[in-house]
Amino acid sequence: MKLRMVGCSHNQASIEIRQRLAFDSKQAAEALVQWRKDLPETEFVLLSTCNRVELYAAGSQETPRTEELVTALAQFHRLAPGELNERIISLTDQQVAGHLLRVAASLDSMVVGEPQILSQVKEAYRIAQTNQVAGPRLHDLFQAALRTAKRVTGETALHRHRVSIPSVAIAELANCVFESFDDKQVLIAGAGDMAEETLRYLREVGNPHIHVVNRSPERGRELAAKWKGTFHPWEELFKQLALADLAISTTSATEPIMSAAEFSEQIAPLRHQRPLVILDLAVPRDFDSAIGSELGVYLYCIDDLERACQRNRAARAAELPAAERIVREETARFIADSHLRATAPVISGLREGLHRPKEAELERLFNKLPELDGRSREEIRQFADRLVNKLLHPPLESLRDASRNGTHHGLLDALRRLFKLED
Amino acid sequence: MDSGINIICFSASYAVALALEIARLWVKIPYSRALEIFSVSAGIVAQTWYLGHRVARQPSAPLSSQQDWFLLAAWVLAVVYLAAKFYYPEKSLGLFQLPGILALIGASVLASTRPLAPEEAPRVWGLAHGVFLLLGTVAVIVGFFAGIMYLLHSHRLKRKLPPTAGFRLPSLEWLERANGRSLGIATLMMCGGLLTGVVARLAQQGSTRNFSWSDPVVASLTAMTVWLVACEAFRILYPAARRGRKVAYLTVAAFVFLVFVLAAVVWGDRFHTQSAITSQSDSLAARCMTSPPPGGVA
Repeated sequence: MKLRMVGCSHNQASIEIRQRLAFDSKQAAEALVQWRKDLPETEFVLLSTCNRVELYAAGSQETPRTEELVTALAQFHRLAPGELNERIISLTDQQVAGHLLRVAASLDSMVVGEPQILSQVKEAYRIAQTNQVAGPRLHDLFQAALRTAKRVTGETALHRHRVSIPSVAIAELANCVFESFDDKQVLIAGAGDMAEETLRYLREVGNPHIHVVNRSPERGRELAAKWKGTFHPWEELFKQLALADLAISTTSATEPIMSAAEFSEQIAPLRHQRPLVILDLAVPRDFDSAIGSELGVYLYCIDDLERACQRNRAARAAELPAAERIVREETARFIADSHLRATAPVISGLREGLHRPKEAELERLFNKLPELDGRSREEIRQFADRLVNKLLHPPLESLRDASRNGTHHGLLDALRRLFKLED
Repeated sequence: MDSGINIICFSASYAVALALEIARLWVKIPYSRALEIFSVSAGIVAQTWYLGHRVARQPSAPLSSQQDWFLLAAWVLAVVYLAAKFYYPEKSLGLFQLPGILALIGASVLASTRPLAPEEAPRVWGLAHGVFLLLGTVAVIVGFFAGIMYLLHSHRLKRKLPPTAGFRLPSLEWLERANGRSLGIATLMMCGGLLTGVVARLAQQGSTRNFSWSDPVVASLTAMTVWLVACEAFRILYPAARRGRKVAYLTVAAFVFLVFVLAAVVWGDRFHTQSAITSQSDSLAARCMTSPPPGGVA
C-alpha cells in the first residue's frame, strides 16, 4: 500500500507540543505545496485539529520514510526534528488505514463520538485536493474513512448521545421544550465560562435574543457584546426573568439568587404559566429547587445535567463495540481492495499474455481454412475465448483469495516469473 | 365490480405500521421508519381505492352511512398522520395516532350501514353537515393525541426522567401549538356541523318542530359544541389557558365528549337513520296520496 502517517494526538503529546505543531488552513496549504516540491513522488494530506496533527503520505514506488516526514513537519515550524521524535508516532500501511478510519469515526477523539472530527477530516482532504497533492492512494484511503464514519453514524447511536453539560442542556432539554430558539428570550445570569459555552451551543441551533444580567457591569457588557446581546443591571434580574423563555445561571453567589416565594409572588403572576426552562449551572445553586414545581417551569441544576451526561457516556460506551466492529470491517475491506488493486497489473498482463497467442493461432487457423463461413469462425473464436478464460480462472481466483488474505506477494512474484510478466 | 380490497387490507397496513412503532421502543429495526411510511402509504392507497369504489357504486358515498363516515374520518386522520410523519420522521407520533385510526376503522365495523341523509334534504346541506363533523372529529382526535403527548412529555421533563430510546416526542412548544389550533379548528367545525345539521333538517321538514334535541347524538353533539365554544372563550379571556397543560386538559376533555358522541352514533342513533327512513317513507306516502297515479284516476 505504501502508506505512512506521522504525527501526534492527545493520546501521546501535550497540548503545548500540539500547539507548536498546529497548522491553520493557509499554513496547511503552503506546507503541502512545499512538501510536494521536496518529495514529488509522494501524496500528502495534513490533518491538523486541536487534538491532533497528523501527516498522511503515500508513495508511488515505496513507503515514505518517517525521518523525511518528521523533518518536513518540523522544518515548517522551524523546530528541530529531534524535539519531536519522542512525541511523534509513525504508522505504516494497515496501521495507517485502521488509524484514520478510527479517527474519522471519532473513536480516537478526546470526547469519543464528537461529530466535528469528520468535517475536519473532510476539510483536510479538500485542502490536499485543491492543492493537487493528494493522489489515488490517499483518495481511496480518505473515501474509506468517510464511508466508515457514515456507517458508524448511521448504524450506531454513538453520535446521538451528548456528553458535555452545555450540549446536553440545549440539545436534550431546551430542545424538548422549544421548537425553535430564533424568537426566544434567553437570560444569562452571571458571566461564567459555562454560560458562554452554553451560548455557543445555543447559537448553533438558533438565533435567540440574549440578555445578560451580571453584578459586574464590565464583564456583563463584555459578554453581551461578544454574543450580540443586551446587558441589564443586576437589579433587573426579576424583570428579565419574567420575560425570559430560557434562563442560564452561572453566578458565584453563595446563596440562591431567587427563592421559591420570590418566584411565585413576583415572577409567576407575570408569566401566565408560559414555559420557562431554567438551567442552573452554578455551584452552589442559584435557584431554589422548589421553583421547579411551579407550573410551566422546568428547572435543571448542574447535578441533573451531569447525571444525563453520565447516562449518555454509558450509552456511548455501549455503542463502542459496534463502532469498532464497523471500523475493523472497513479496514479489512480497504486493505483487501488495495491488495486487489496491486494485483491488477499482473492480472491484465496475464490476460494480455494469453490474448496475443490466442489471436495469432486463430489467425493462422482461419488462413488455413478459408472455406469457413462467418458463423463457424465466430464459434471458433468463442471457443478460444472460453478456453482462455477457463485456463485463467483458477490462477486469478487464487490470486484474489490471496490478496484478500494479504498473502498475494509470493503468488504475484511466481506469476510474473512463470509468465515472464514485466512490471 | 368487486375491487378485492376490504377493510382488513388497510387495517392490516396501519396495524403493521403501529407494530413497527411499538417494536422500535425496544429493538432497533433497520429502515423501520421507511417501512412504517410505506405501510401507512399502502394503507391510505388501499383505503382510497376502497372509498373510491364505494363512491362509484353509490354517488352519495363516502358520506352515505355511518360506516362510510367513520372510514372517511380514519382516512383523513391517516393522511394527517402521514404528513406529520414526513415532517417529524424521528418522533413517535404513530404510537398515538395509529391506534386512533384503527379505533375509527373498528367503530366503522360496528356502525350502521343504513343511509344517513334523507334523500329529500338538500344534498349540499347534508354533505356540509357530514364534512364539518368529520373534520371537527379529526381535529378533536389530533388535539387529544397532542394533549396526551404534551402531558407525557411535560411529566418526563418535570420529573427529570431520562428519555426512552426509540420514544421521541415533538417539543412542548409544538404540541402546545397543535393543541391550541386543533381546539380552534374543532370548535369552528363542530359549530358548522351543528348549524348545517339544523339547516338540513329545516330544509327537509320546513320547521324544527319535529327536531329532536333529546336524541342522544344531537344532545351529545350539542353538549360537545357548547363545551368547545366555552373552551375557546376561556382561552381568549384567560391567558394561562392558552398555555401548556391547561390547553392539553381542554383537548383531552373535548375528546371525552367526542367519545360520547361517537358512542351515541354507533349505538343510539335513531335521528340520522331510523327517523330518516321514517321521514322518507312518510314523504313517499304523502307523495303517493297527493300525486295522481300514472294513467289518471279511474
